[in-house]
Amino acid sequence: MIVRIFLAALAAGLIAGLLMTPAQYARLVPLIEQAETYESGGAAYDHGAAPDVDAAVSAGSDSAPASDHHADGHSHDGAGFLHLGRFGNTVLANLVAGGGFALLLAGAALIAGLNFPAGREGVVRGLMLGAAGWFSVQLAPGWGLPPELPGFPYVDLAQRQIWWVSTVALSAVGLYFLVMQPKFAAKILGVALIAAPHLYGAPVPNDISSDVPALLASEYATAALATTLFFWLLLGGLLGFFLSRVDAETVPAEAV
Amino acid sequence: MAARTFSTTLTGADTRLQAGLAALFVGALLVFGVGLAHSSALHEAAHDTRHAYGFPCH
Repeated sequence: MIVRIFLAALAAGLIAGLLMTPAQYARLVPLIEQAETYESGGAAYDHGAAPDVDAAVSAGSDSAPASDHHADGHSHDGAGFLHLGRFGNTVLANLVAGGGFALLLAGAALIAGLNFPAGREGVVRGLMLGAAGWFSVQLAPGWGLPPELPGFPYVDLAQRQIWWVSTVALSAVGLYFLVMQPKFAAKILGVALIAAPHLYGAPVPNDISSDVPALLASEYATAALATTLFFWLLLGGLLGFFLSRVDAETVPAEAV
Repeated sequence: MAARTFSTTLTGADTRLQAGLAALFVGALLVFGVGLAHSSALHEAAHDTRHAYGFPCH
């Protein structure tokens, strides 16, 4: 059973992850590349070739290194990793991310007690599950830490990651209480869990000035939310469909 | 009755919980590797993906 559920989730995740790449290249990657020209204080550097030279240049001209990560050479061409190039790396990373998010979504559905009846109803439930994933992983953390472009002002990476992971987890559990539990007190608890990380406050820098143009940043935020909505709905719908097949095969139809 | 009904339960409650926890664990590992690991090789490879999903980056 576990193997079948894993296969169903991975199938949904790989398809959604594969289609995420063209979706990203439609809007997000061009905006990222545009923003990278502002990343080192206006000195554009080429991410496509000769990473060592570029890394040295960018490390030298980086005006505000808030982490040593920049100082040790910050290139995005991924030449050192499997030599797939930037596009190949993104395809691979999207497949892994798709599989990972699919397993998380399937795991959450199983634990939350969601069932996927065969046919249209299973797909509709999957779409709603996908929307819940988008809310928890994209929208809720985005209220505090909006989707970043290279060149944004930032505080310590680990601090932001802790806040991000906590917000995703609290939003998912909160949404479960809000939507799946009938009692009024449970719904209040759900809203409180969703609101908690925002009342606590996201780690944002004191100085928020940036060389990245505001228009670029706002275009990126809407594009990132739209593109990931596409991904999560596709993932949820596919997951609902595949899990309903597992259902039907595992528990054979019986004459009642 | 001749009506065919599909049961809407995936599996028994125990198997279901085990499968759910296992899926959460493996999924979290994959997402951690793509989105959060500090390894600079992983960061470079997953750079555009991290930005697209709104992971904290840089």
